[in-house]
Amino acid sequence: MKHCPDCGAKLETPLGCGACGALFSPESTLTPFEVLGLEPSYELGAAELKKRLLRVSRVVHPDYFGSADAATRERAERASALVNEAHATLASDRARADWLVRWLGGPAESEKREMPKRFLLDVLEWNETLELARGASPGSAERAALVELRRVLRAQTDEVLATLAARLSPLPERASARLAEARADLNALRYLDNTLAQIDAVELESLRPN
Amino acid sequence: MGFIQLNVLNNAASNVALGIDLGTTNSLGAMWKDGRPIVLHPEGDSGYVPSAIHFTEKGAAIVGRQARELAIVDPAHTLFSIKRFMGRGLAQVEADARNVPCALSETDNGVVQFEMRGRKYTPQELSALILMKVHDQACKALGGIEVTKVVITVPAYFDDSQRQATRDAARIAGLDVLRIINEPTAASLAYGLDQKKHGKVAVYDLGGGTFDVSILSIEDGVFQVLSTNGDTHLGGDDFDRTLVDVAKKELASIVRPSTLDDRAFLQLLRLAAERCKIELSSDPEAYMHVSLPESGVQWRRKFTRHEFDALTAHLIERTLHSCRRAMADAKLGVEEIDEVVLVGGSTRTPAVRSRVEKFFGRRPHTELNPDEVVALGAAVQAHVLMGGTRELLLMDVTPLSLGLETMGGAVAKVIERNSTIPCQATEGFTTYVDNQTGVDLHVVQGERELAKDCRSLGRFKLSGIPPMPAGMPRIAVRFHIDANGLLTVTAREESSGKSARVEITPMNGLTDSEVEAMLNAAFKNARDDFDARRAADLATEIGTMVRASERGLAHAADALDRETRRDIEDAVAKARSTSAASREPQKLQKVRDELERATLPLAALLMDQVAKSALSGKKLDEV
Repeated sequence: MKHCPDCGAKLETPLGCGACGALFSPESTLTPFEVLGLEPSYELGAAELKKRLLRVSRVVHPDYFGSADAATRERAERASALVNEAHATLASDRARADWLVRWLGGPAESEKREMPKRFLLDVLEWNETLELARGASPGSAERAALVELRRVLRAQTDEVLATLAARLSPLPERASARLAEARADLNALRYLDNTLAQIDAVELESLRPN
Repeated sequence: MGFIQLNVLNNAASNVALGIDLGTTNSLGAMWKDGRPIVLHPEGDSGYVPSAIHFTEKGAAIVGRQARELAIVDPAHTLFSIKRFMGRGLAQVEADARNVPCALSETDNGVVQFEMRGRKYTPQELSALILMKVHDQACKALGGIEVTKVVITVPAYFDDSQRQATRDAARIAGLDVLRIINEPTAASLAYGLDQKKHGKVAVYDLGGGTFDVSILSIEDGVFQVLSTNGDTHLGGDDFDRTLVDVAKKELASIVRPSTLDDRAFLQLLRLAAERCKIELSSDPEAYMHVSLPESGVQWRRKFTRHEFDALTAHLIERTLHSCRRAMADAKLGVEEIDEVVLVGGSTRTPAVRSRVEKFFGRRPHTELNPDEVVALGAAVQAHVLMGGTRELLLMDVTPLSLGLETMGGAVAKVIERNSTIPCQATEGFTTYVDNQTGVDLHVVQGERELAKDCRSLGRFKLSGIPPMPAGMPRIAVRFHIDANGLLTVTAREESSGKSARVEITPMNGLTDSEVEAMLNAAFKNARDDFDARRAADLATEIGTMVRASERGLAHAADALDRETRRDIEDAVAKARSTSAASREPQKLQKVRDELERATLPLAALLMDQVAKSALSGKKLDEV
């Protein structure tokens, strides 16, 4: 659907028409790219994505149907939830890559659990550093080690993200080996993200007032 | 906006909506008018309605400023800070319950009830009374136009139960809720619109009973909330309590122990503490006064600002920790925040201002009235919802993660906190035994690992699943958090396409039929009030008519035939006796109309005489 069946205007999204205010309930499942009126690709600028989110939200957001009947308001609610879900998927490098890998017939997270081998030993080490820092006071050697670990993990995260971007742009053939490699990168990222989140939690926790 | 469209039949406005800030301490109404939001206040009145309710001996509720004043003479029958009880069970409000001057109980679904003058009131009903008062004030300010559509604000950190309770309160008040929006977000709307700002904004909102911090990105009319955090039980009330605690300790040797525990006495202390706190915002030192003439107690205690700051430092620290969490969730460093906006009366406390300034490393904005900015923002949103503009877009988030209790008592997250609303998630379920037709879900909100440590939103019972072997049904349960931040749950059995029934047992909430019953009771009260006023007006009018008729008869009796004269005398007697005996407006209206009819010939005669005497040069009062 590229043009509005009601007024013929060009559509920003298959969910509704900004020109005449009509809301549609598409019968088939839309991809997050379709919802936001984008071509599927891993490379996606944050500014462009945000622009699409706002354009489409201005068409379907329930705030603009405040005095409409209950059924229309409900349709706006559902459409807007789809838009926000699509945006959340595409705004995160991880979620976007995960979605593309599955969409192209690559392995899901549950089907391929391996990650690049060099991380395996590291993970044990990270956990040990975290454990030691948990009970330590701010300014201690253990906490300093944690700050250093964060620096290292952030650098590694950037590296893996760069590799992932190279694997997925341009988009690989359906069911190709590159998809399995991308999945392994995503698994590594999960460990990295998780550990970084735990480091932040340790820091935040130590600042908590009694 | 040029005109307010009126439905001529009932004087109701059809194209406008009010914004209402339903606060812990004060409530306020505002509306969009001539291109900007304005606070609605009747002439000579600030418009603030203190969120206080006094119950008279007869059980009538007095709301607002008058109730606040009555609290001083009769603290035992005056309620404050009802918002702290919204959507909560007794177990969660222990500290607040100690400040209530009456007995508390709980309904079957865990809704707190206040016992006043032999009747039980839920926080929803009490909040409805406050909303009615604010609504009434606002409509008066509009010259008597009836506006029933409203946008109501709630703390951003309110969970689903607390939001539901707020919506139910509005329903009981007979209002049509267009939207529930978050207080800091509303404030950012008013602020952003006023200042035409761009960039990352932190809104620090410390009210009477709640604290919120929201981090927003404002850009070209788009207000996008990046994260929010807070504490729905932290506010100015807690600052007052630190002074109350000092007073109690020092009064222990002066007053009887029973007095120290007396709820009415505590109410008195709290009011004295609040006054002292407010003075400390402008003066370096202030006195807290407590006087109990009946027991000869006159207590006066000096507090310096320094001492007060030390007493409340831990409270401010708690708010700053919420700020840290919000910043972490927004993935921003404090140096990336462009502006800091202070909202809520408690941000007048100098220590709050200086600590916030130090935390964010920049001077916060204080040019907007922190007591009005939330109501003004609600009016802006009301304008958008009424179709007034598409220039503004508000994208808010859900403050708490939504999860389901798993078999082991852990929580499986369904929707993450700080997800942009409206949002949805669909989860698949199946059955464990053959021909099982129902599945129970326990829905919780919060960030803790175990379900028992999170807020229970209630049990959702899916029923109507077609009988099938165990594990065969594929039940898709859809969780939708709408633009109000309110959850709805729907379910469908995928293989049969049948939608399952979802039965909700709310935790700390009212069922639809309870709301309905309360709405009817509220309407009955409103109608009773209306009837009483009308009866009083009619009685006055009848009194005037009776006096005029008697005077007229004395002047012109001779000019009337006997039958007419008797007719008038009968009607006068009937009117007099009925207005003395009855308060039923229908009856009074009938005798009034009858009197009017009967005295028509007399009126005509008098008019005639007036005309004649005017022609003969006589003055009116000589007739």
